[in-house]
Amino acid sequence: MGQIEWAMWANEQALASGLILITGGIVATAGRFTQWYFGAYSIAAGVFVCLLEYPRGKRAKGSTMERCGQRYMTAVVKLFGPLTRNYYVRALLHLALSVPAGFLLATILGTACLAIASGIYLLVSGVFC
Amino acid sequence: MGNWVVNHWFSALFLAVWLGLNVFLFVDAFLKYEKADKYFYTREILGPSLACARASALCLNFNSMLILLPVCRNLLSFLRGTCSFCSRTLRKQLDHNLTFHKLVAYMICLHTAIHIIAHLFNFHRYSRSRQATDGSLASILSSLSHHEKEEGPWLNPIQSPDMTVEYVTFTSIAGLTGVIMTIALILMVTSATKFIRRSYFEVFWYTHHLFIFYILGLGIHGIGGIVRGQTEESMNENHPHKCAESFQKWDDHDSHCRRPRFEGHPPESWKWILAPVILYIFERILRFYRSQQKVVITKVVMHPSKVLELQMKKRGFSMEVGQYIFVNCPSISLLEWHPFTLTSAPEEDFFSIHIRAAGDWTENLIRAFEQQDSSIPRVEVDGPFGTVSEDVFQYEVAMLVGAGIGVTPFASILKSIWYKFQRADHDLKTQKIYFYWICRETGAFSWFNDLLTSLEQEMEELGKVGFLNYRLFLTGWDSNIAGHAALNFDKATDIVTGLKQKTSFGRPMWDNEFSTIATSHPKSVVGVFLCGPRTLAKSLRKCCHRYSSLDPRKVQFYFNKENF
Repeated sequence: MGQIEWAMWANEQALASGLILITGGIVATAGRFTQWYFGAYSIAAGVFVCLLEYPRGKRAKGSTMERCGQRYMTAVVKLFGPLTRNYYVRALLHLALSVPAGFLLATILGTACLAIASGIYLLVSGVFC
Repeated sequence: MGNWVVNHWFSALFLAVWLGLNVFLFVDAFLKYEKADKYFYTREILGPSLACARASALCLNFNSMLILLPVCRNLLSFLRGTCSFCSRTLRKQLDHNLTFHKLVAYMICLHTAIHIIAHLFNFHRYSRSRQATDGSLASILSSLSHHEKEEGPWLNPIQSPDMTVEYVTFTSIAGLTGVIMTIALILMVTSATKFIRRSYFEVFWYTHHLFIFYILGLGIHGIGGIVRGQTEESMNENHPHKCAESFQKWDDHDSHCRRPRFEGHPPESWKWILAPVILYIFERILRFYRSQQKVVITKVVMHPSKVLELQMKKRGFSMEVGQYIFVNCPSISLLEWHPFTLTSAPEEDFFSIHIRAAGDWTENLIRAFEQQDSSIPRVEVDGPFGTVSEDVFQYEVAMLVGAGIGVTPFASILKSIWYKFQRADHDLKTQKIYFYWICRETGAFSWFNDLLTSLEQEMEELGKVGFLNYRLFLTGWDSNIAGHAALNFDKATDIVTGLKQKTSFGRPMWDNEFSTIATSHPKSVVGVFLCGPRTLAKSLRKCCHRYSSLDPRKVQFYFNKENF
């Protein structure tokens, strides 16, 4: 297992979580569920996570398939320097973003998925090993 | 177009039937829940989202039944064997099993999304009508008591106005299993993207076993009977068409309408998935049994660029060209099975695979065999799987194109063609082969190089130099290599590969190749076989159309997209 770059899977998982957050948020806001403002938050958080995770990072070993059109997002993401480069920061960021969405049933799935992605990033960041 | 229809009519029909069934089941269930009197009162609270949720649930049951079947590869091999009287086109469809598995998975994801969204609305409406104090029909229905015995008259699962939807979700069986199933599904999908599968196979392989949670969850998802409809007896006392309007008078003594009573829907998912689960369990047992059969490793060859060749024998093993096997090495990993294309010909008395270092498992395997001590690790083999590529032998002139790692099945094919040619086998109609090998650099395929060299020598000995024409195209060249090649232009053998045929740099110019072949064989049928990327398939198909003569007696190119 030593050579597996888990961050690649965490990236896919986080991207999926972003989409799930957006969908849950739209359902909650459109349906005007109780506390629907969490839904509005979820849409915003989902969009942010998607934009952040869309550029696929370069693999340490082997060739990396870029996602279609990721150059434009990469330019923006790079601006934040160490904040986005560091997996530990990313893990904490995703964990923090996922918490408010956990208050609403419609978006709790997004919370769970983003928390899992955050967990994988945490594993990769070398904090535990 | 005609070629496409001949090759794909069965797939198209199969997919059309599958889609049609999905649509039919969805619409049928939707109408049932939207129109039936039994759910009149339920609809009063929930509206159309009830029908949406139930319709998508039925489609989920249907697709969950289908999803396990395409991955029972031993079952599929058995079908392929028993249906040998069926045309090859039909049997080739069994090779697209993984494509179908993915399509069914996408459908499951779509219906999961519809199902969850519909139930979010359902819970929201149940919650709202529980808290409503306006004396509407919905609120009266919601207050029907929970405190009676099992088949109590209650309709609304939310028992008190203080209960939140989150509480109900995580304390009901349906809600809890739903969340677990969905998370398992999402994890399975994100780890199964092409990128992850190709680069980190183990992540995909292990995570995909979360399907066990999905199947178990699906089996018990409906036990709680949260979806409720009016009981038969209650319909006699309180028919919605007659009594719905007078709901305020239900409790009056002289009213003809009593309070309605509801019953839960019995779980039915297990009925859909029971048979496939049993088949799959049987498949796994069979795989285990087959893997326990002893595999004798007769020869281990270490090729340059870390390529390991294993020649093996197994009792009762018989292969055809173009097939692949799954290999497991218990000393490296108990649970992992990795697929490898067979590189030996069926005419040989052993079967072989060439393993390139491409990840954790392969590197560990190569390292284990590299050690000089006498203990060779034990290896288990399952297979062979895949449709036989016997079409290759049917064409007078064959154009074989292998790009990158796609060259591996051609090792088997070329060797087999050579054996058949030597023995003057009647099955072999091939008179001439044009082989195009395209790769970035030959490093990891130098063993294939050696194969071509030995074929070259054997052909010279038999005096049949013209039988096999091959061209190697290096797409990863730089000015150094090109310069070197230019300097050594006059040498008899190529400086890069040592073969008699010279290496070309860059990609082949297909128009030139096709027109040369068309001119040399003006009356032949040429079979074009590719193992490589889709873009290359497109250009080859176009060339086939362009250079096939309109006169059916003259040269015809047939493109065969083989899925090795």
